[in-house]
Amino acid sequence: MSVLLDVKNLRTHFHTHRGLVKAVDGVSFHINEKEIVGLVGESGCGKSVSMLSVMQLIAIPPGKIVSGSAMFDGHDLLKYKPKGDEMRAIRGAKIAMIFQEPMTSLNPVLTIARQVTETLELHLKMDTQTARKRAVELLKLVGIPEAESRLDNYPHQFSGGMRQRVMIAIALSCNPKILIADEPTTAVDVTTQAQLLELMQEMVNRFNTSLVIVTHNLGVVARYADRIYVMYAGRIVESGLSEDIFLRPLHPYTIGLLKSVPQLGQTKSDRELVPISGLPPNLIDMPQNCAFLPRCSYHKERCRLEPWPELHAVGAQHYVSCYVDTRETS
Amino acid sequence: MQNNVTNSVEPTAWSEVAPAQSEFRRVIRVFFSRKIAVVGLVLIVLLVITAIFAPWLAPYPPNDIDMANTLAKPSGDHWLGTDNLGRDVLSRIIYGARTSLIIAVGATAMSVVLGEILGLIAAYFGGIVFQIIMRFIDALMAVPMLLVALIMASLLGGGVKNVILALGVGMLSVHARMMCAQALSVKQNDYILAARSMGMGDMRMMIQEIVPNAFPALVVVATVGLGAVILAEAGLSFLGVGVMPPYPAWGKMISDGYKYILSNPALAFSPGIAIMLVVFGFNMMGDGLRDALDPRLRGVV
Amino acid sequence: MNAHQNNNLIEIKNLKMYFPITKGLLRRKVGDVKAVDDISFDIKQNETLGLVGESGCGKTTTGRCILRLYQPTSGSIVFNGTDISSIPEKQVRPLRRHMGAIFQDPYGSLNPRQSARTIAGMPLIVHHMIDKKDLDDKVAELFNLVGLDSSMMDRVPHEFSGGQRQRLGIARALACNPSLIVCDEPISALDVSIQAQIINLLEKLQKSLGLTYLFIAHDLSVVQHISDRVAVMYLGRIVEIANSKELYQSPLHPYTKALLSAVPVPNPVRERERVRIVLKGEVPSPAHPPTGCHFHPRCSIASAECEEFIPPLNTISGTHQVSCLKV
Repeated sequence: MSVLLDVKNLRTHFHTHRGLVKAVDGVSFHINEKEIVGLVGESGCGKSVSMLSVMQLIAIPPGKIVSGSAMFDGHDLLKYKPKGDEMRAIRGAKIAMIFQEPMTSLNPVLTIARQVTETLELHLKMDTQTARKRAVELLKLVGIPEAESRLDNYPHQFSGGMRQRVMIAIALSCNPKILIADEPTTAVDVTTQAQLLELMQEMVNRFNTSLVIVTHNLGVVARYADRIYVMYAGRIVESGLSEDIFLRPLHPYTIGLLKSVPQLGQTKSDRELVPISGLPPNLIDMPQNCAFLPRCSYHKERCRLEPWPELHAVGAQHYVSCYVDTRETS
Repeated sequence: MQNNVTNSVEPTAWSEVAPAQSEFRRVIRVFFSRKIAVVGLVLIVLLVITAIFAPWLAPYPPNDIDMANTLAKPSGDHWLGTDNLGRDVLSRIIYGARTSLIIAVGATAMSVVLGEILGLIAAYFGGIVFQIIMRFIDALMAVPMLLVALIMASLLGGGVKNVILALGVGMLSVHARMMCAQALSVKQNDYILAARSMGMGDMRMMIQEIVPNAFPALVVVATVGLGAVILAEAGLSFLGVGVMPPYPAWGKMISDGYKYILSNPALAFSPGIAIMLVVFGFNMMGDGLRDALDPRLRGVV
Repeated sequence: MNAHQNNNLIEIKNLKMYFPITKGLLRRKVGDVKAVDDISFDIKQNETLGLVGESGCGKTTTGRCILRLYQPTSGSIVFNGTDISSIPEKQVRPLRRHMGAIFQDPYGSLNPRQSARTIAGMPLIVHHMIDKKDLDDKVAELFNLVGLDSSMMDRVPHEFSGGQRQRLGIARALACNPSLIVCDEPISALDVSIQAQIINLLEKLQKSLGLTYLFIAHDLSVVQHISDRVAVMYLGRIVEIANSKELYQSPLHPYTKALLSAVPVPNPVRERERVRIVLKGEVPSPAHPPTGCHFHPRCSIASAECEEFIPPLNTISGTHQVSCLKV
């Protein structure tokens, strides 16, 4: 398995009038070929910002990519100009993205045909007729019934789930190496979510694409992801194979998250939820030590005195950033 | 940093959200960061000071006729010259500020109070009440404001009171529609549903839940409206149906002065510039307030 | 069912809520959105009934009918022995202090221009249940109950975090000592690590205050966790009601089965063993629901009779009811 995208030490900061927000602060991750990776964390943990930074889609200012590299195809994406031709040739063609809101990510005044064929014509230099034919194929592929006749419809004539399918079709149209799905199913219902996730899995298998699922929902990634990164307050606190994260979690935050979500089939009489106390930190003027410390039930003296620990290996592919060996404590 | 660390034993020490800065301070900060808005504010403050302290600021009484010294060019004695009756133009402009301000505030207050009550009732009760009130407002709006005021002024005659009445009715539709639109959008919020679910009555609902949330937009519109009223008043006075002579009014001064525009341009231009500055001031202040009070910018800037 | 009659805090019979679709200048009625289409259930004292379904299934409308924020088209809602379904608004108002409501959006459901004190105390003020001088003490007591610091009383909502706002919303719902609380998606807008705090708070309050909950949510794992019984809604109708445990272990309605299989479980081993039933197509519009059983166009076991007959809600065993001709 070869590494497709290798991000090292990414830092993205935002300057706000209330202070410096270190939205992403020293994040390293990689994506292998034909792999499904989950990036999990709560809102504001920097999971979306990390992905947008790699794509150079951060608004500058207030944002700024302070340091880091993102090696893709032998080039560092972060060296490219955000609006330059090189970056444009990557976006949509080599690395495609789909977003949470299928309502707003499609342009309401353009037909579906225009929006699907646009990328085809732009990146693959297809002529209008070929692009249209390809668009029908793609829409059929993502399960849109009567694709030919629906091609000239406008986005508002599609339901939320259908729009997200169109987004998937557009994202896959140039056969990208990596598909980044940023909370792809948050705005849709459970049964639609199941449809979309199954579809995405099928599609990435068919197109040999790697998939990154960015989500706050642990359940969503459990079934599909090969590897998972858990983020908290701008950093990756734990990473590993899906089984490592869900069955042998080591970081107190991961452990806390798993204990605090209800599981299907268990009622209040079976298991009491153990919430994580306190609140997610406010990212302005963060202290140097572990950001999870104030909510951590495992913390030791060392956690208060020393800076945030680096990720260290605890298994073949299992990394955790914590001074405490939670296995001993529990 | 070290301090922070030692203090953070309690799980809530800094996981607590930092208290956001107060709304009022944020509004002030955003407003004063817009230079043009500050210029507007300064102009309006000057207008208010001039109006209040007119008797002390004006070098001459505004209505003192000096037939020996008519149409004088600007000079050390009369900075902006004198008009065809020998009255000091500068003094009349200073007193004119009073007239403009009284009319602007009076007409705006009247249209804001009436218009917003109508708009609020229409939006809150909806249905047939909405249809009746808003169709009436639409009808009022279809007639140009100046025409409404002209008709009323010619029926009731000129004079400050009647100008206020005429312009108040003219501006009514603007404020009613604004309030209606605001209230309709505020009504969509869950806190209105929450208030209903706790059994709150209509009156309390309107006054405590809807009005405070519609307020920022109304302040902006009222500010810009003040400028519009001053402009309209000048128009009426220019047409001779506004403030009655010899009462000093900028519009009337222009209509008296434009006959001498070639021989003595200061006569028509100086009240014209006064109107321009004041209207500009209100508009800029309104823009600044809109930026400062706009909820979409809240927390972003 | 009749055996529990005295024990029921709320009984809903044949509730229908149709919203007219109007067209043109004259607002001619051209049809109905059948948001709630003939549902019956009851909630016992001190019980939590979960109401689960996808968006547009009518679960929120049901909750709002019970709060009488909507005037139901037909059917009865008996609350504490009184039918509140058709009494005029003026007479509903005093009854509202016996019901509390918690809303989904902790940002939208609190008036941004009121202090936390006013928000939490408002129900008491509205019902004239308190003197001005006692307000601070009472609000402090409420704050204490929901785990808020009473020093925060003077803050306005945007100075609270999402979880704290929802606590404030709960404090408001509790102000008048209601017996029933309608919780409409109370946790879905909150961060994952905060959700459990609110669920546990709701459970604790139920025990200590003897509350009855109608818990409306789209997330089946949350509903199942907190509820004693769960009702599953699809397109305006209840398709299945059962004990929380029983619904998971032996779901009978094909829609319930599909819904259960679609809920992700944070456990890769369990996940990979589970068979996922992926439903075909999408939920039809409630303005033009299918004939017969609303679910039949997406159902894998539907036959001709399902297109024709509306299946009744049959009692299978004890408290397990299902509305399917094939069961």
